[in-house]
Amino acid sequence: MSSNIRTLFNNGWTEIAFRWILGITFIYASYYKILSPTDFAKMVYGYNLFPDVLINLIAIFLPFVELISGLSLLLGIYPRSAALIINGLLLAFILILTINIIRGHEFDCGCFSAKETGSPKMMVVRDVIYLIMGLQVFLFNGVRKVCFIHLGKRI
Amino acid sequence: MQWNNIIKEMIFLLGISIISAFTVNFFSPSGIALVGQWDESPGVVASEAKSDVFSGELEIKHVKTAKQIYDKGTAVFVDARSLENFKNGHIKGAESLPLGQFDDLIETFKKKHPADTFIVTYCLGRTCDDSHRLEQLLFDHGYVNVSIFIDGYQGWKAEGFPIE
Repeated sequence: MSSNIRTLFNNGWTEIAFRWILGITFIYASYYKILSPTDFAKMVYGYNLFPDVLINLIAIFLPFVELISGLSLLLGIYPRSAALIINGLLLAFILILTINIIRGHEFDCGCFSAKETGSPKMMVVRDVIYLIMGLQVFLFNGVRKVCFIHLGKRI
Repeated sequence: MQWNNIIKEMIFLLGISIISAFTVNFFSPSGIALVGQWDESPGVVASEAKSDVFSGELEIKHVKTAKQIYDKGTAVFVDARSLENFKNGHIKGAESLPLGQFDDLIETFKKKHPADTFIVTYCLGRTCDDSHRLEQLLFDHGYVNVSIFIDGYQGWKAEGFPIE
């Protein structure tokens, strides 16, 4: 069983599938946030974890980290570094969601547009699955398919 | 693992992200201020977007002032929240005009209320700005006598004022 999983995780097709799933997901996730930073800022505020001065800066910067890293994974430009950034973001999301689940903090601004999709627990499960994919992309040592620039070398 | 390269690449990717993020925010009409207004005590929380043209003068900042206006009976209180939230509880006698269904409902609303009607919009409270957005939309449709009750349904309910 474990050797089967190892074979699967060492497979180049698994790497490209995970990389593209993550890339497309993060590009898609950034789209709405870039289009409406004011709604995203309110979501950041709603987590009740960040100082007021950082809320807008996070709302401006984070969607572009998602977009650039997502594009990077999709196009195979520095995929290992992009996967590391994505993994860092996923870890932060999991941590934030878990803290709010534990302390029972649920925010609903009652607004028309700024709404989270899904329950926080489901979002943690989803992010853990993405994190497993991200770790596979980061740790993969074989030849990467459809990859233009990897660790300073053109492939 | 070639950590040197990885760190260089990460700096490169994050650098591009920073430059593009702040450039787009600077030029985009939906861009926001670098620091928003996230303290509930002075008023409604907001990222202070460039597109916001909210006027503080239109805001009713005290629940008791809103109650005085309500008691006079000259104003129509309009609830900007979703119909579902409205049905779960609203200021007694208020009308529902959800922001998300504004285009579908405004013509019926206009037939019922002439342009000089004194309207007070509200939403949940100081964490939402739907009442402000509704005020702008109503203004665009010719309503010039609109105020925004910023403490909204939460503030009203907390004071024990009439709800239904």
